[in-house]
Amino acid sequence: MRRLSGSYRSALIIGVQGIRARKLRTLLSMISLFLGVLAVVTVQAGASIAERALMSDLELRSGYDGTLIIDVMPHEKSPAIVTETVKGSDAVALIATQAIIGEPGVSPINPGAAPFDQGSWGTTDICDDSGNCVPGPPTGEAIEVALTAVTGDLMTYRPLRHVSGAWLDFSTVPSMSPRLVINEEAAKGFQNHQVPAEMRVNGAKANMTPQIVGVVNDGDVQPRAYVRHDELTNWLPAASMSDPNMGMPLQVMTTKGSAVEQVLTAKLRGAGIESYANLTESRKQMEDQLKLMRLVFLSMAGLVLLIGVAGILNVGLATVGERVEEFALRRAVGTPRLLLAGIVLAETMLTGLLTAAAAIGVGVAGLKVVSMVLGSREPLLQGVQFPWDAGVAGIIAGIVAGVLGGFIPALRAAGIPIATVMRA
Amino acid sequence: MTQPIIELAGITRILKGQEEPRTILDGVDLTVHPGQSVAIVGRSGSGKSTLLSILGLFDRPDQGTYVLDGQDISRLPERKAAKLRSSHFGFVFQRFFLLKHLTAAQNVAMALVNGQGWLPRRQRRARVLEALDQVGIAHLAKNRPTRMSGGEQQRVAIARALVRDPRILLADEPTGALDTETGTAVIEALLSATHRGCSLVLVTHDRDHAARMGRTMSLVDGVLTERVPV
Repeated sequence: MRRLSGSYRSALIIGVQGIRARKLRTLLSMISLFLGVLAVVTVQAGASIAERALMSDLELRSGYDGTLIIDVMPHEKSPAIVTETVKGSDAVALIATQAIIGEPGVSPINPGAAPFDQGSWGTTDICDDSGNCVPGPPTGEAIEVALTAVTGDLMTYRPLRHVSGAWLDFSTVPSMSPRLVINEEAAKGFQNHQVPAEMRVNGAKANMTPQIVGVVNDGDVQPRAYVRHDELTNWLPAASMSDPNMGMPLQVMTTKGSAVEQVLTAKLRGAGIESYANLTESRKQMEDQLKLMRLVFLSMAGLVLLIGVAGILNVGLATVGERVEEFALRRAVGTPRLLLAGIVLAETMLTGLLTAAAAIGVGVAGLKVVSMVLGSREPLLQGVQFPWDAGVAGIIAGIVAGVLGGFIPALRAAGIPIATVMRA
Repeated sequence: MTQPIIELAGITRILKGQEEPRTILDGVDLTVHPGQSVAIVGRSGSGKSTLLSILGLFDRPDQGTYVLDGQDISRLPERKAAKLRSSHFGFVFQRFFLLKHLTAAQNVAMALVNGQGWLPRRQRRARVLEALDQVGIAHLAKNRPTRMSGGEQQRVAIARALVRDPRILLADEPTGALDTETGTAVIEALLSATHRGCSLVLVTHDRDHAARMGRTMSLVDGVLTERVPV
């Protein structure tokens, strides 16, 4: 490791001596700076936590950053082309359809797989004599879900959050009783409305008896179920899965530039099927959203920090005024002007660093307390860790404040004439 | 004879910024050889401290030449002057200028921690203790100035001046704040440095102390003349 030069070491040694000799003044400087650094740490920590949460939500809905999503327009040949192309690759095809789970012939309580709390879907309004209406109990006896058949492990591209049970197992033989993983909205429907479990899908040869194996949070407000594609095709001919009249979309998730992308695009073009590729850029999207918010808060934190800088400047000038003889004497024994300025800057920078350490400590402790107290109510704060970049921001803020606050006192110290010691 | 360590020729210093410029030093010539002790006496305001400031590179002459150890340093930039102050000079002032928050050893070490080279802590400590030992107060190394007498404090200041083995010691009325007995002891400590080849320029009002120096110069109205002992 390269060792510090004599000047830097001298400045540090003398700076530490100065801080130890003037503990109260150092403390006063720290108090004025503390709030500023804490504001920077808090803003940065808040922004980082919000960024993570936002990123996590975006990834939940749109997939991991860099995922290429190819939307294939409905066509009778599209399911066959897509499933054949992605077979044996890392790419995952998602084929969407609708399913009604309930007794044969009964209507769903949420037609069109509508969210359960949205309006009065599936209910009949009950009105009093004066014409005031309230939603009545659901009229149907089945639950309709958006059914997504997946050809592989979707989790590779979309971080669905596990809630209970298990995720789809692709290593086993396809079951004749399709295994479903439902989202939280669908789970809410099944919890509130007891319906016999038989699944109707348009175009299927017969009704299926599904097994609900798990619940995930997919960020979707619509009740949805995920099923293995091969388990669904036991009952549903591939052609019915992309009925142009039904407008059911087909999606392929892969990585940009992969062989699947090139082969699939070529095959679809050859068959005259339109497709659109979109690259998931969650981070970019999120940064755009956060940029303005972060700028506003950092500006506010910067203002608070400036007050801290003014405090350091004030105390620094008073301290240099008190130490005129010391600085003149140091010059007399050969200390260059630059090092005198360095000594003052070292003191203010060390003060800034100490303050930053204290502010970061308070930030870490505060976040822990907030997480413990509010974690049960706010999932975002559950087990949240103090972001390292907030710590770095605090240290930088402390050093910058130290340099800014110490700059003018350093110039004053460097300009003290040596003759001061002669005239004393 | 050996080459002079200090040669001043025609040094003039004029104080400006007042209604009329005032000549503080008027064509001062001074030669000091290694190991030589020189006393400069004169009334208050005669320019003794200004002369010492120029000798110690705190101030620059308006005219004349200053040759230090064979090198003309009359117009030296501050950065180089700081280096020379560190390598060639030791300073002792009337007020001791010890930092109260530091121990005697740390006060002496101040001259070593000045950005002009770097000594490891062990070597630094050895040099400090040696300097304190030279002035007979090594046992007070860990004491703070507030717990020392005036004489002891001035010895610490002398140790601080000696710790870099200077070629020249400049002392500005070092006994001014001390009683006669303690002052004599301080002069002894300063003179002992000349036995090791260090030159001493002492500004003093005390005729007895001046008489103990090898030469005595008198500064009257900015003009320096040699006093011949009678």
